[in-house]
Amino acid sequence: MNKKQRKEWKWKWTLIALIPTIIIILPLYFIAIVGFQSAAEIFHRPPYWFPPHPSMEFYNHAWVTLFPYLKNSLIVALGNLALTLTVALPAAFVLAKFRLKLGKLTFLILLFTQILPTIAVIIPLFLIFSNFGMINNYFSVILGIAVFTIPFATVILRAYIKGIPTSLIEAAFIDGADLFRIFRSIIMPLLSPAIATAGTLTFIMAWGDFIFSLSFLKDQTMQTMSIGIYRFVGQYGIEWNNLMAGSMIFAILPIIVALLAGKAIVAGLTAGAFK
Amino acid sequence: MKAFSYKIYFFLIPVLVYQLIFGIYPLIYNLILSFKDVSLITYLGGGISQWIGLSNYVQILKDPVFQKAIFNTLIFTGLSLSFQFIIGFWLALLFNHTFPLKGLFQSLIMIPWVLPIMVSGSFFRWFFNDQGMANNFLLSWGFIDKPIPWITSKIFPILSITAANIWLGIPFTFILLYTGLRAIPLELFESAEIDGANWWQKILYITVPLLKPVIITILTLGTILTVKAFDLIWIMTKGGPGDVSHLFTTLSYSLAFNKFHFGKASSLLVLMVLLVVGLTILFNSTKVEEESSIE
Repeated sequence: MNKKQRKEWKWKWTLIALIPTIIIILPLYFIAIVGFQSAAEIFHRPPYWFPPHPSMEFYNHAWVTLFPYLKNSLIVALGNLALTLTVALPAAFVLAKFRLKLGKLTFLILLFTQILPTIAVIIPLFLIFSNFGMINNYFSVILGIAVFTIPFATVILRAYIKGIPTSLIEAAFIDGADLFRIFRSIIMPLLSPAIATAGTLTFIMAWGDFIFSLSFLKDQTMQTMSIGIYRFVGQYGIEWNNLMAGSMIFAILPIIVALLAGKAIVAGLTAGAFK
Repeated sequence: MKAFSYKIYFFLIPVLVYQLIFGIYPLIYNLILSFKDVSLITYLGGGISQWIGLSNYVQILKDPVFQKAIFNTLIFTGLSLSFQFIIGFWLALLFNHTFPLKGLFQSLIMIPWVLPIMVSGSFFRWFFNDQGMANNFLLSWGFIDKPIPWITSKIFPILSITAANIWLGIPFTFILLYTGLRAIPLELFESAEIDGANWWQKILYITVPLLKPVIITILTLGTILTVKAFDLIWIMTKGGPGDVSHLFTTLSYSLAFNKFHFGKASSLLVLMVLLVVGLTILFNSTKVEEESSIE
């Protein structure tokens, strides 16, 4: 009896929590269904809660139009991921385990660049990159995004590495292992969950980037999804159903990641915020 | 562990060099530009631009659009933070119970954070469009007689953008407060209950004081993140119509890339960086005090 009561009690909270959860994901639901509706249907009053005559036309069109941009987004996001982890991992190790003057300075600089407004870097970088002919180049976008993803990833990884017992490192050192070896064979294997977390967050950030692609990629064949979707925003009107279908296609990857790695995202975000 | 000697620097040099070249150097470059007369003509004409002292700053400060942007930034930041905090706190209290499907719901609540900003921005542009969803719902429910120009009038755009931004920020506030709440021992609440404390008293005298460091972190990071918001506004209104919905960020971007007043844009950026750094220092000093007073 008592047990049964408790069970009911629990489902009560599920029902209460369901309401805000639904409200929060409602925009995503509408993005998904607007893509299935004709131009007349999307302006219907009241808006349809279910597409009355679902059609794949706009999803097909958006997919065909956006496919080339998808490739560019992948190049940028994966390139940024590789760069970010390569630079952040060693730094996080030393920042977590050693007290150095240079380490303090580095950490300060990382915290500083992390809080910078993106555009404070974009406008000067745009002028600098144009001088070097690096506009319309994947590298310019990857390098730009990394200014923000590197500090972000370093702070998260550092928090994890701090949890690895220092005695492990000391023991290896006494056994004659040098620093590179310790990093490679002791720290790295223990870090796979942390790398997954930091990597996931970094990937999502670069995948969703808008402003660097907007400012640095003027050549249509190199633009990412964020800008590709703009193609449905014409001069004389916006193709809303194509825009929403394209948005949904663009959003699927991060949504899958969020559902699969929800816990990792939460852990990473909190580790990043509380230093 | 001094014995590692110089090898240790191989681990730090990449990150340090990277941030100096791509993070700090642009800022210095920007600072220099802000004292120069850089426009499209001087920029394309080989970069011979004159030093003009503080003229860019004076022009910016006198600009009515800048004054409007100050007002907008205050509204945007104040409303966003308050609502995000209230909603996030309520959600965190709710999720502090154990119930079936909690993990799934939590992941779903993170969705506004993982969606590419272009996707959520486009949705809200559609939602607040003159013929968009907000108006169609309100009209058909009989709340209004004619469409409200949510993003095409003088006063509404900044409010519509703020509403969208509140939605975007809920996951972040929620997750931090939730993690903070989990760290409070349940016994504290139980003993307060035995002493006859009601729900409000428990929140007011146990939860809030113990969460103070978390709350300060959220408000700090939240203020910084909100003040520097750019993408959402750019996607929804581009600061328009007629410059009514600019924040500092969008104004300086449009000065640079639409009007090619790179000098003026730079001076605005310098002011922004000072603002963000000032805020961080301010909040950090309160945070240190709080922490030491608790311990």
